[in-house]
Amino acid sequence: MDTSMIFAQFMSGLSRGMMLFLIASGLSLIFGVMNILNFAHATLWLMGAYLCYSFWHLLQDYGFGLWLSIILAALALSAIGAVIEVVLIRRVYKRELPEQLLLTYALVLILGDLIKIFWGVEDKLITRPPLVAGPVFIFEVPFDSYFIFVICVGFAVAGGLWWFLKKTRYGHIIRAAVFSREMVSALGIPIPRIYTGVFALGIFIAGLAGAVQAPVGSITLGMDMAVIIQAFCVVVIGGFGSLLGTFVAAIIVGEVYAFSILFWPQGALVLIFVVTAFILIIRPWGLFGTPTRA
Amino acid sequence: MKSKCFKIILGVCLVLFVAAMAQAAEPYNLGVDLAITGTGALYCKDGVDAITLAVKEINAKGGFLGKHPIKVSIRDTQTKPDVAVREARDLILRDKVRAILGTYSSACAVAIKPVAQEYKVLHIPAISNSENITKVNFSPYTYQVVPNSYMQAKAVVLGVAGLAKKKGWKNYITIASDYEWGRSTQNNTVALLKQYAPELTLKKEFWPALGETQFTSYITAIMSQKPDFVIGSLASKDNVAWNQQATAYGFFKKIPYPGSLISVSELIIQAKTLTRGLVGLCRAPFFAHLDVPMMANFVANFKNVYGRYPSDWAVMEYDAVYVLKQGIEKAGSIDTEKVKDALKGATVDTTRGQLFFRQIDNQLSCSSYIGVVADDPKYPFPIYHDLVEVKGPDSWRPEAEIEAARAGKAE
Repeated sequence: MDTSMIFAQFMSGLSRGMMLFLIASGLSLIFGVMNILNFAHATLWLMGAYLCYSFWHLLQDYGFGLWLSIILAALALSAIGAVIEVVLIRRVYKRELPEQLLLTYALVLILGDLIKIFWGVEDKLITRPPLVAGPVFIFEVPFDSYFIFVICVGFAVAGGLWWFLKKTRYGHIIRAAVFSREMVSALGIPIPRIYTGVFALGIFIAGLAGAVQAPVGSITLGMDMAVIIQAFCVVVIGGFGSLLGTFVAAIIVGEVYAFSILFWPQGALVLIFVVTAFILIIRPWGLFGTPTRA
Repeated sequence: MKSKCFKIILGVCLVLFVAAMAQAAEPYNLGVDLAITGTGALYCKDGVDAITLAVKEINAKGGFLGKHPIKVSIRDTQTKPDVAVREARDLILRDKVRAILGTYSSACAVAIKPVAQEYKVLHIPAISNSENITKVNFSPYTYQVVPNSYMQAKAVVLGVAGLAKKKGWKNYITIASDYEWGRSTQNNTVALLKQYAPELTLKKEFWPALGETQFTSYITAIMSQKPDFVIGSLASKDNVAWNQQATAYGFFKKIPYPGSLISVSELIIQAKTLTRGLVGLCRAPFFAHLDVPMMANFVANFKNVYGRYPSDWAVMEYDAVYVLKQGIEKAGSIDTEKVKDALKGATVDTTRGQLFFRQIDNQLSCSSYIGVVADDPKYPFPIYHDLVEVKGPDSWRPEAEIEAARAGKAE
């Protein structure tokens, strides 16, 4: 086994990890700040993929069509997220977790049916532009050029979120609200507006992830259910609410999957759940979470 | 007296008329249990459209036997066996269907089979094709109108064994979806390759989960193993994702990938990106039988109604309806027991020519098709050139092996 083989597998694991990070980071952000476990996150992710398809369908004749479609899909989904927060989510902040889960699971069904109504049941396929349709060679190892874009988006979102939360005033307010909503509110900062913004941001990232996923294969109903489990594994391993944890866990899950395919293909999925169970037993709050959130 | 006689005759006529009307009005309830959503949605949309078209054509002539209009109930299996069973049961108990057409995912077909048998309802799978649907736990109510996984595997093996000898191939890798059809097809392919090309060595097997969206890790892992060739058993949206990502890796230019499922759906949907020169396998390509009047009419009507060419799945579901029609005509009745018996060993006209059901397993003698993906000026998508048709009787499992399997002596 040569190093180029290891490198190729590492890169494919990294791309898978970044795809998972994009899905899980919004989920983790919303839980971390708002204490809402949004079961509908993956369905919103799927809606982002469909929105991307619709925009691409209109813009496909232009060279920038796909790239603009990805941004527009994320923005459109973010607006939908803001409406959902104001109309529904806001009403269950103080309720118990099972009630929150029930509401967000109902959202899964409602959004699933809305997707069926608006986009039908047929699979949708986005043709990639020539720039990202072929392989690129890194140290003579071929790699799907589109996944280079995926990795870049993953790192950009991680860096952007870190900068936003650590370096901006709005980010400081959000972090303060995590520890004491009452104190932030007492300072005259409108908590409901902050929460709407955070939820919209989380859904923006979900939309971005869905749109980035769209040209990878065909877009089809039911994709959300397949991905939500792995997204939860990432969040559990990293620690709910921890951005760094989500980032590291996504890479761990991606690499565990990639290398187990190389060495033990039939155990690839099992290993992810073994790692998740192991973390839950020895460190229930995750690698980078805090015990109070466990 | 005259008046009394007249009244009696009028009364008898009225009773006979009402009885005749009642018989004429008795609809034939037909159930469709297909994957409208989920992994199989890509193929099943065409299937539903073809069934709808066939029913419309038959109903235009009064329905089955010219007097039983077909009433169709369509249900969504979501490509999940438990949902498929629930919907099948509901079709039987609530909608009183006499036959269920389907299904996508062999796991769904295998799950529905005992339900149909329990309620004595005909079951005609036209997309799902694991040979276990008819090979073991045989149900006399199940008739398969699609080449089964053994027949498809044998067609691939005959082609690949010839190529291996010609090109000096020594080893190979398989990648197959980890569910009933994928396992069944892969197992048959490997077993048959051992028989027809014993010099070949299986280096590794990959089993991505059904519904996998990202195949990059599989692609790099396979490329790193440097096999002489790869055999794939992936279907529907998984197949589309695999083809798209493998193309982007330059996979098909480096490693021969002969005989994977590339149906007309994939030829159409990936018209721009599918690698030309690939050797693919399909189940019922319309362009192979345009010389059959039934196929020519079907393609023209399908295009006229839906504005597109029919896929393999449309062809086979359309055939399923007409097979049922011919069974009913042969039985002279819509009674399920009589239709079931009439179809036993029956010769039927299909869009793929005149075919027959084998007595031992109710498998239709339909062909498998292997060809080279190439552009064709007649179509806006690539089709198969150098198409080889492997006939059903040349590729299906010997009867002795089926009997042994049923007796528990072999797989």
